[in-house]
Amino acid sequence: MKYAFFPGCVSQGAAPELYPAAKLICERIGIELDEIPGWTCTGAGVMQEKNQFFADTLNARNFAKAEQMGLPILTICSTCQGVMSQANKRMAKDSDYLAEINYHLAEEGLEYKGTAEPKHLLWILIEDIGLDKVTELVTRPLAGIRMAPFYGCYIVRPTEALDIEEHPERQTSLETLIETLGATVVDFEGKTRCCGFPILTINEKNSMAMVGKHTSEAKDLGADAMVTPCPLCHLNLDGYQPKASAQLKRKVDLPILHLPQAIGLAMGIDPKDLGLQKHIMSTQPLTVKLGARR
Amino acid sequence: MLEHDVLVIGAGLAGMRAAIAASANGANTAIISKVHPVRSHSNAAQGGINAALLDRGDDWEDHAYDTIKGSDFLGDQDAIEVMCRSAGSALIDMEHMGVTFNRDDEGRLGTRAFGGQRRARTFFVGDFTGQALLHVMFEQLIKSQVRSYEEWFVTSLIIEDGQVGGVMALEIRTGQLHAIRAKTIIFCTGGCGRIFEPSTNALIVTGDGMALAYNAGAGLMDMEMVQYHPTTLAGSGVLLSEAARGEGAYLRDKNGNRFMERYAPNMMELASRDVVSRAEQTEINAGNGVNGCVFLDCTHLGEALIMEKLSQIREIGIDLAGVDMIREPVPIRPGMHYIMGGIKTDIDGQTSIPGVYAAGECANVSVHGGNRLGANSLLDTIVFGERSGNHAAEACRSLPFVDFSEDEAVAREERRIKEMLDRPDNGDRWGAIRQAMGESMVRNVAVFRDEQSISEAVRDFAELRDRYATVPVENKNRIFNTDLIFALELGFMLDVADTIAYSAVERRESRGANARTDYPERDDENWLKHIVAKKGEVGPELSYLPVTITKWQPEERKY
Amino acid sequence: MDVTIKIRRYDPEAEQPGSYWEEFAVSVADNATVLDALIKIREEMDGTLTLRCSCRSAICGSCAMRINGHAGLACKTPLALVVDENNAITVEPAGVMRVIKDLAVDFEMFWDKIRAVEPYLQPAGVEPEGEYIASNESMLHLSGVTACIMCGACVSDCTVLEVDPTFLGPAALAKAYRFTADPRDGNREGVSRDRLRSLSEETGMWDCTRCNECVQACPKGVAPMDRIMALREQAVEAGFTNNNGARHTNAFTESVGHSGRLDELRLPIKSVGGVTNVGAMLSYAPVGWRALTHGKMPPIRHKNVENVEQVRRLFRKLDPDLAGPQIGRNSPFG
Repeated sequence: MKYAFFPGCVSQGAAPELYPAAKLICERIGIELDEIPGWTCTGAGVMQEKNQFFADTLNARNFAKAEQMGLPILTICSTCQGVMSQANKRMAKDSDYLAEINYHLAEEGLEYKGTAEPKHLLWILIEDIGLDKVTELVTRPLAGIRMAPFYGCYIVRPTEALDIEEHPERQTSLETLIETLGATVVDFEGKTRCCGFPILTINEKNSMAMVGKHTSEAKDLGADAMVTPCPLCHLNLDGYQPKASAQLKRKVDLPILHLPQAIGLAMGIDPKDLGLQKHIMSTQPLTVKLGARR
Repeated sequence: MLEHDVLVIGAGLAGMRAAIAASANGANTAIISKVHPVRSHSNAAQGGINAALLDRGDDWEDHAYDTIKGSDFLGDQDAIEVMCRSAGSALIDMEHMGVTFNRDDEGRLGTRAFGGQRRARTFFVGDFTGQALLHVMFEQLIKSQVRSYEEWFVTSLIIEDGQVGGVMALEIRTGQLHAIRAKTIIFCTGGCGRIFEPSTNALIVTGDGMALAYNAGAGLMDMEMVQYHPTTLAGSGVLLSEAARGEGAYLRDKNGNRFMERYAPNMMELASRDVVSRAEQTEINAGNGVNGCVFLDCTHLGEALIMEKLSQIREIGIDLAGVDMIREPVPIRPGMHYIMGGIKTDIDGQTSIPGVYAAGECANVSVHGGNRLGANSLLDTIVFGERSGNHAAEACRSLPFVDFSEDEAVAREERRIKEMLDRPDNGDRWGAIRQAMGESMVRNVAVFRDEQSISEAVRDFAELRDRYATVPVENKNRIFNTDLIFALELGFMLDVADTIAYSAVERRESRGANARTDYPERDDENWLKHIVAKKGEVGPELSYLPVTITKWQPEERKY
Repeated sequence: MDVTIKIRRYDPEAEQPGSYWEEFAVSVADNATVLDALIKIREEMDGTLTLRCSCRSAICGSCAMRINGHAGLACKTPLALVVDENNAITVEPAGVMRVIKDLAVDFEMFWDKIRAVEPYLQPAGVEPEGEYIASNESMLHLSGVTACIMCGACVSDCTVLEVDPTFLGPAALAKAYRFTADPRDGNREGVSRDRLRSLSEETGMWDCTRCNECVQACPKGVAPMDRIMALREQAVEAGFTNNNGARHTNAFTESVGHSGRLDELRLPIKSVGGVTNVGAMLSYAPVGWRALTHGKMPPIRHKNVENVEQVRRLFRKLDPDLAGPQIGRNSPFG
């Protein structure tokens, strides 16, 4: 299957390991990724608070380009997913709003017709590809690995923007996938809470408290690793875990995986090719336990 | 000991308005409520607040006439004059405090039509006007210097030598009993709807103030005048605002006929509430309903209007009955909603007990007489809340505190509570007694009633009173013991229930909400008078008071 | 309908107080709400069960609690919509606030926060004799916020309050917005400058993480987070930009407006007030160092997207104040 690929800024910026890992597993599954030319940032919810119209116009621009490609949009970032879905809903609900946006796009020769349906890789695997296909490709089941799902916010809320009512399975998609990979799900309260990243530079203490709370809670429930579909959550949970740990005055040492990395491991891909060595929190105990030692 | 010049009991609109007024007049003021102020039942007023604004070409006298006619000429016309004259400034005050009233195209306050009134003078905030007013009043309470005792339950009044000395109150979160000394007390405790089952009223509406005042010797007036609202939701009995009909909704029977044309050819669905409820009940009794309901039809109003002006009741229909009024008619029936009767007061809120005041639904000034007009209740709370607060603050200047022993007062109340907690389990429950009382009331003191049915209610209540005397309280603890509170409230309700039934059987005519099938006509010659119930040796003792008539003579009432 | 209600209970007067789960099997009407079931338990099965409830119609705000882990009003939640395959639900007290007994929590912190935003209209100038003239649209917009019934569902599920009780939180900030957006309030030409200034301080509007929990939890459609975002827009507009939150938002928009994408290296630097904020820069240093040694530092040289001039065109047109005439030439992101 072919998709208009929307990688998001972080997968090529602060989390450079995500982009190649995603490409690798998509290739194995048979998902063809055609990157949207000149795609721009969704605004990540930040621009929306300053100037929602500008941000939505940029999103409509991306959607219009995907329409031109005639392909559904695949993203590998929960935040991009959420922000795109919300923007898309606003345009769908208010035709005047969309018309005004299109007025500004017209100068570039673009028009958004309102047909885009951005979807995260996580949903695509379950809804479009099918778990049978994924199971088929699992050559190194993550048996014995206790894995905590971390959704973060944007891929679960607000439910209305994400069509959760029509797709209730999206609420448990991460657990479903973890089980498909052969790992054991570590269910914990923080899985759909905020990772703290959006306030990192605004209120670092709170941001670190969130990282500390979620990682330690999962660790206490016996998690070997945590997996997230959101690279921003990953940035905070992994990159800032040492700082959060220090604030918490307790060692946590919980490896955090990007969703495609977890899938890649189960498909027997070399951890190095998945960029696991690039993480701040060592993934070595995990790969050793799995017998995929790098 | 806790001590205040003015102690307001109940923190709904009337209570907060009274407290703010008393405090602004320099009195050391406190307000005490069994729930947090914003949880009060004023919230539930949906449709709006009436006021005749001169600059809209309206006239307070027109408003007064509509109110008097609505009351079936039982309202006191001097009190009605006070209310209708003050309405404009009360409304503008609320707007200045911050209420987000809907506007017209010029940005001025917008109006909607309401029942029993010949012109649109109901000002509103969507269909949650009461909530909007209540929250703004709470904002003003925060701004004021008023001390607020939240989640404190008043268990009894302290009266020494005929003079009020204060109250006993249970601090719910600790279970501790306190005596609070006060020079004046203002009851603003709302109605008593939970005596009825079902009722549109919130679970906290248990007639506490009426019972406390009654037990202290005050008179409860016109208690037979209980309003059945025409549009309460099938099943749960929750209110669907008159605003729906004000905005143009129809009432239909099972065949889709607008039956109101046979009962009120001019005003149709917007006749007075008692008239519409009787029409509905007549149709239902004649077999023209479905499962004991007729229908409120909003489908022709359009989604945009409903979403802007009736969105909350639409949600209620969806959540509680699974019916979306945008698309289909809602099954409704008459349901107990309001009591016109209450603690007899003068136009300044004074009761017959020196130092004791009352305002709002618990009081009877009387501005509603035999039937209250929609959107006059919010007005009543604000106008007479303020007047009571002003008068009480003034009175305090020349009143001394009454001396009493705090220890003795607390010990006495403590013994009473302990006796209740220590009762052995006999298998009975207060919930069962309340349910039986409520069902008897709705069965026997209904939209239509007669001597036989009301007498049956009186007998039921006597039996329930016996059960109440020994009903156990299951929860023996002190912290947040709602079980104990409910048991105490049930005692209040049983007291008030008697006064309703006794008064209803006494009024041998049909006037306003007291529709007697055995006396189907209004009888001005014998019954153009108030009935006052005072506590006697074995039950309510009834007496009469004349109705104040200033310029509007009783006439035949047609809509 | 036969349902199992699993309630998290707490008795402060027990010998060893602690929370515990208790299950009740009740039979209720098919269209019953969660509250109907709880009342039935309280009246017929266990008189010690403690909860607040009153109106039964989602207007008094008493019965907010966690149903299946998420805050909502018991009276507004039909059981049929929330029971699992075994016809069971869990009910817990609201979060963040201290439990008093069973499902009743201590609202004191909630009211403290409401009081902290000076929640009453503060108009400037002389009151008109009649009503203030205001558009119906502006009043309808405000009514969308004043529809808040102070039930505390948003506070219960707020991710920030969970770790930091000093945050003003969604209910109080939405309440504050109700005044800053009111054309009648304000100390300068209808702008509530004093309010916006104090709300821009720590524990205020910028501490929200935009997690949407409050939007999801609110039973009245108030969408507190959206109001907080609107507050931010008002604050920036009124010139209160000397804080990390406002700088972050502006820098983010500038980065995207100029290059089409986010410059992750420079964004945090600009957010904390530039490289002159030595303390903040030092605190990022260890993290930056770790990132560098793990080969995941964002690119030093931030690239522009293809057709970036189209993005800049939109930026200039749709956010002229921020874009300025210099965009594309001397921008710090150049």
